[in-house]
Amino acid sequence: MKTQDSIIRLHRAILIICGLALATVIVLPIWRIELDAAQYPEGLELLIYSYKLDGQVEVINGLNHYIGMRTLHADDFIEFTVLPYLIGIYALAFVLVGALGRRKLLHILFSAFLLFGIVSMVDFWRWLYEYGHDLDPAAPIKVPGMAYQPPLIGFKQLLNFGAFSIPGIGGWIFIACGVLLTYCAYAEWRITRIPILGLALAFSLQACGSDGPKPINFGNDQCAHCRMTVSDARFASQLVTTKGRAYSFDDVQCMVAFVKSGGIAREEVARYYLPDYSNENKLLPADGLFLLKSESLKSPMRGDIAAFANETDLEKVRKIHGGQRITWEDLWK
Amino acid sequence: MAGNAAQRTYVPPGQYDEFYNFVSGGFSGQMSVYGLPSGRLFRVIPVFSVDPEKGWGFSEETKPMLETSHGFIPWDDLHHIEASFTDGMADGKWMFANSNNTPRLARIDLTTYRTAEIIEIPNTGGNHCSPFTTENSEYVIAATRFSVPPDGPGGDVPISSYKENFKGHISFVSVDKETGEFDIAFQLKTPGLNFDLSSAGKGKSNGWLFLSCYNSEQAHTLLEVSASQNDKDFILAINWKKAEEYFKAGKGTKQAVRYAHNKYNEETHSATSEIKTDVTVLDLADFEDLAYLIPCPKSPHGTDVNPTGEYIIGSGKLAALIPVFSFDKLQNAIANKDFEAELYSGIPVVKYESALYGEVEKPGLGPLHTEFDDKGNAYTSFFVSSEVVKWNIEKLEVIDRQPTYYSVGHLMVAGGNTKKPFGKYLVAYNKITKDRFLPTGPELCHAAQLFDISGEKMELLLDFPTIGEPHYAQAVPADLIKDRSLKIYDINANSHPYIAKGESEARVERNGNTVHVYLTTIRSHFTPDNIEGIQLGDEVLFHVTNIEQDWDMPHGFAIKGAGNSELLVMPGETQTLKWIPDRMGIFPMYCTDFCSALHQEMSGYVRVSAKGSNVPLTFSTGTSQAAAGE
Repeated sequence: MKTQDSIIRLHRAILIICGLALATVIVLPIWRIELDAAQYPEGLELLIYSYKLDGQVEVINGLNHYIGMRTLHADDFIEFTVLPYLIGIYALAFVLVGALGRRKLLHILFSAFLLFGIVSMVDFWRWLYEYGHDLDPAAPIKVPGMAYQPPLIGFKQLLNFGAFSIPGIGGWIFIACGVLLTYCAYAEWRITRIPILGLALAFSLQACGSDGPKPINFGNDQCAHCRMTVSDARFASQLVTTKGRAYSFDDVQCMVAFVKSGGIAREEVARYYLPDYSNENKLLPADGLFLLKSESLKSPMRGDIAAFANETDLEKVRKIHGGQRITWEDLWK
Repeated sequence: MAGNAAQRTYVPPGQYDEFYNFVSGGFSGQMSVYGLPSGRLFRVIPVFSVDPEKGWGFSEETKPMLETSHGFIPWDDLHHIEASFTDGMADGKWMFANSNNTPRLARIDLTTYRTAEIIEIPNTGGNHCSPFTTENSEYVIAATRFSVPPDGPGGDVPISSYKENFKGHISFVSVDKETGEFDIAFQLKTPGLNFDLSSAGKGKSNGWLFLSCYNSEQAHTLLEVSASQNDKDFILAINWKKAEEYFKAGKGTKQAVRYAHNKYNEETHSATSEIKTDVTVLDLADFEDLAYLIPCPKSPHGTDVNPTGEYIIGSGKLAALIPVFSFDKLQNAIANKDFEAELYSGIPVVKYESALYGEVEKPGLGPLHTEFDDKGNAYTSFFVSSEVVKWNIEKLEVIDRQPTYYSVGHLMVAGGNTKKPFGKYLVAYNKITKDRFLPTGPELCHAAQLFDISGEKMELLLDFPTIGEPHYAQAVPADLIKDRSLKIYDINANSHPYIAKGESEARVERNGNTVHVYLTTIRSHFTPDNIEGIQLGDEVLFHVTNIEQDWDMPHGFAIKGAGNSELLVMPGETQTLKWIPDRMGIFPMYCTDFCSALHQEMSGYVRVSAKGSNVPLTFSTGTSQAAAGE
């Protein structure tokens, strides 16, 4: 039911929910600037919506005139005309991408939304800077070198007022949508890079980020080279790419053949792993292991090579199976 | 807050406070009297506003106290209080107060706790820079906050001609050492500056007066912006001894003006109001050695001289530092003519650095007022940053800062404007109260906050609400004045023209349409208490004499339908209530101040008949009159 281009159901649901949540941002406060001073024990609040300013705008304007700051008027901001539509369009886009489920659209949405977020914050900062610095030279109170730019986020003391700037409820929803979108885009991107579709979410999360070999799902995973099911842990091997992706093989011979046949470029391989024959078949880095080649080992693809962490183990097995010692390099000749 | 604050502000029942605190009532127009450290309110003394509780401005005797050249004015804005001084210390005789709207000065007697005298100040708009006195209260200062053209018809000029026609006037009102009586000795005419506050020199600087002035821009509209442009305004230093010499030598010109001078006589228990018609004015521009301007950063508000008289602290309310000027340096600069190249409207401007001792860096925001302790420290109030800052004058270093709740205006250290401050308590008078007390709707009380300043750090002890808006205040040790407080008026010294010295003198007399009722009060009856023969169209004057001679035994008087307040008559005192009855019938009268167990019985009736009625004028107490009329 899934093709290479479609998004998994969970992600589609997330996108639609995000789209609906984003629509509410149009009418919710996106940012809050709180002002605190001794004589305002109750605090003063400026709320920035997508289409208006709210809170004690007039009180703040009244105070700001002492330092010559321009008064705040919603009419001065073109943003208040455009922003509700932009948010609406993005809300619609989230829902559409979720409904259509095309991975390509998801990545476009991700890029566009990221751009929107960055441009919005830059624009907001620019306004804060402008209001904080563009002061009337005829203001009653002039403190040399003092500007009154509120922080984009966080706390700053401006004369007798402490200014605390944080996202409002709408802002948090916006950020949450961004985070979820990022997750979806990333997870989908991961899926396209893993040959086996439909990997469990937990597996994906576990698979990313950690170094070393990845667990092999015996009896399920296919050999990346011969496409047979990997079932014999004694000979199953694995290579991990520089990007952290793992390819599993049912036999070291398949792994060597896979690389040699150009299944993957040698320089993209970060490490090769072989199972420790005498020690619970734990996958260990291939270089530095001791190898025994004996036909009586009977490996799945008849590479017939066992790997050991130390010589003692190798010698014990050799007493039973016979055969000869070879090196890792010998395999590549 | 100090942990044992309750203990330190608790004055047990029946015990006395350590200090009297005389606090300005601001726009209430009155002065209040508190105890420190308890913050208990003892009395509100009516000064510039009528007070129906006490009959102030309602009784015939007190009405003249509120007369001005504009007629009777029932309200004003009392800003500052200053004690009368002897040798730079409060002597406990009087408190002086200023009114800011219709410019006046008042003197409050500290034996009766009543306003004894009010004098109007001519040529002045907004007497804000007042009532600060010289070291021995030779003069109380009044100065214009709003420069205006001099009084008279010549004042009809365009407002835009401010720079040409508007002038400041600084009045030197002399105070009689014995009686306290005011007299406007002379006025100094200045350029059109706005004088804000002043402080007289003391000790080495005695003989000088320092006034802060703003609006050196001489703007006349949107002052909050247009009078805030110059980086420096001025402190005006005046050699008042020299001015006095010139005045006594006959310099200056007499100007025809009109101002009221109202005095309360404690023997007739009546006030008189007199309109005076001239004042002597000396124009500063005519004298070279009277006045000097010291540049002071950004619209100075307070200017305060420290106890030694050497340092003058300017508080530029928009400035980010506090300049401290040196009297010695100022004298040197004057001697060496270390002046700016240009005069300011004819007055030399001393170079800032030449008068400056040093600057306190980053003390706070919005400095307003400075007071002093006995250890060389200054305490400055900061309105914008809402705090009191303690700093060392010589070192110019901040020692401690404590927040106030909220936005402190004036502050007062007990004796902080004298030569020897008591230095124990500081009270911050805040402009904003908000959440400090239980809410009472949009209109909240202003508040005072008591700090203990005996240690290195200031400790907040107490919040207490105040009346009106507390501006400046004074604190005087209780022991200095409490024993001088009058208990009763001696009835034998009462020379009120309508007194009834005993019940035998109580009577009712008709004089045309005016009926005089000579009424006495004593526990628990009026004499007379039955009056008949009053007619519509009569004007009835109840002259109520309280013939008690016992401490704390006032009687009140009120009559139904009187378009007037009550009377509250102290033992031995006579007060008069005017009543114009508006209908026929029986009108009860009664005592309004619970005086005894039989207070409820202290009442009477007045019968009002038609105009021209044949009901004879009769009066009685305790006997039944024969039915008259009809």
